[in-house]
Amino acid sequence: MKRAPLVLTGTVAGLAGVLSFHSSPAKVTLGAAGPAATGTSASSPAASGSSGSSSSGSGSSGKASSGSGKASSGSSSAGSSGSSSGPAASGTRSAVGPSVNYYFGVLSVRVTATGSKITKVSIASINDGGMPRSQYIDQQAIPMLEQEVMQAQNGNIQGVAGASYTSAGFAKSLQGALKSLGLK
Amino acid sequence: MGTVVTIDVYTAGGAPGADFDARMAAAVARLHEADAVFSTWDPASPVSRLRRGEIDLAGCPPEVARVLDACAAARDRTDGWFDPWAMPGGVDPTGYVKGWAAQRALAEFAASGASGVLVNAAGDIASAGLLPSGEPFRIGIADPFAPQRLAAIVRLTGTIATSGTYERGPHLIDPRTGEPGTRAASATVTGPDLGLADALATALAVAGETGLDLLGRFDGYQGLVIGHDRSRAWTEHFPFAPRGG
Repeated sequence: MKRAPLVLTGTVAGLAGVLSFHSSPAKVTLGAAGPAATGTSASSPAASGSSGSSSSGSGSSGKASSGSGKASSGSSSAGSSGSSSGPAASGTRSAVGPSVNYYFGVLSVRVTATGSKITKVSIASINDGGMPRSQYIDQQAIPMLEQEVMQAQNGNIQGVAGASYTSAGFAKSLQGALKSLGLK
Repeated sequence: MGTVVTIDVYTAGGAPGADFDARMAAAVARLHEADAVFSTWDPASPVSRLRRGEIDLAGCPPEVARVLDACAAARDRTDGWFDPWAMPGGVDPTGYVKGWAAQRALAEFAASGASGVLVNAAGDIASAGLLPSGEPFRIGIADPFAPQRLAAIVRLTGTIATSGTYERGPHLIDPRTGEPGTRAASATVTGPDLGLADALATALAVAGETGLDLLGRFDGYQGLVIGHDRSRAWTEHFPFAPRGG
């Protein structure tokens, strides 16, 4: 089946959501950044899901809320992610989302798109403070985050179980980049 | 909660039904609600207050009691390998709630006219329906030894949850010791309900390969355990995708 994926991105208060709708015509809609977004899930017990909640990581989960709110790069209000706009611009182009705080530091996300199709998602900049543990987690996590966005457009599989390290900061910068590309 | 939820809606062609926006908003609202009630990092959430003993169960929204009942049943039926009451800092149902919340969000798309819907709550996935081609969804399982690679692919009916140590280092708690520790590198469970699959995957990650026997007590649930030595063990009907298919 040929798919023209449409990526709806919505950030929920305290939850970041990347919502995809696969059909045609392709269109991309950005949802909202809620006020209560957290940092990353690294040591936020609520985010650790099936991993239980020992906080043997560096720092406490309270720190995770730093920088939230102002990092909002999305648009409208939470829950509006179903709304839509016209077809996106064509051609290959890329954009870098805003630098946003996440649990270990600051990052920004670069998105490359051709037409309305996202062809690459990567980290444009990251400053994790050089802490060994945060570097370890970043090395583990960033590929997953990139992969997570691309999965929506992978024809062979529709998702990956177990790739659970996710970051509201990543999603916010992603939203900003998508908006810059007119994928909104 | 700081987690990313992906909702994928597949339609056979054209735009989804007119009520798509409302369904998406309702699904997002379910996730908001779950976060507001069950967040253990938000000190003001009912569950955080319950953990601190500031309120009792009667003072919580009714879904807290329902979730804790489900957790207690899962604890008993896994011989304690899944035990939210053994977590440091008081009862922590997070190992069930993420899947439960995703399952509730998915329910908002019932009879929506879409061919299939996936709700991916940070690697725990609830699905309904099929791809527009009529084929089942194919879901990869992250390789615990190389997270950018896949350890296996399944043909998904219902839900899939994977639990392991590779996500953030060794954070799973062994309920029997109260210390971090697992007997598997990762454990994956498929089955009809994502809350229970989530809990069972946690149980199997801690219990290891021998925990697969527990799944016989749960109708419709299958498991795959990848050992620290990279060995693999699975239940008889684990839904591996056929090679090349």
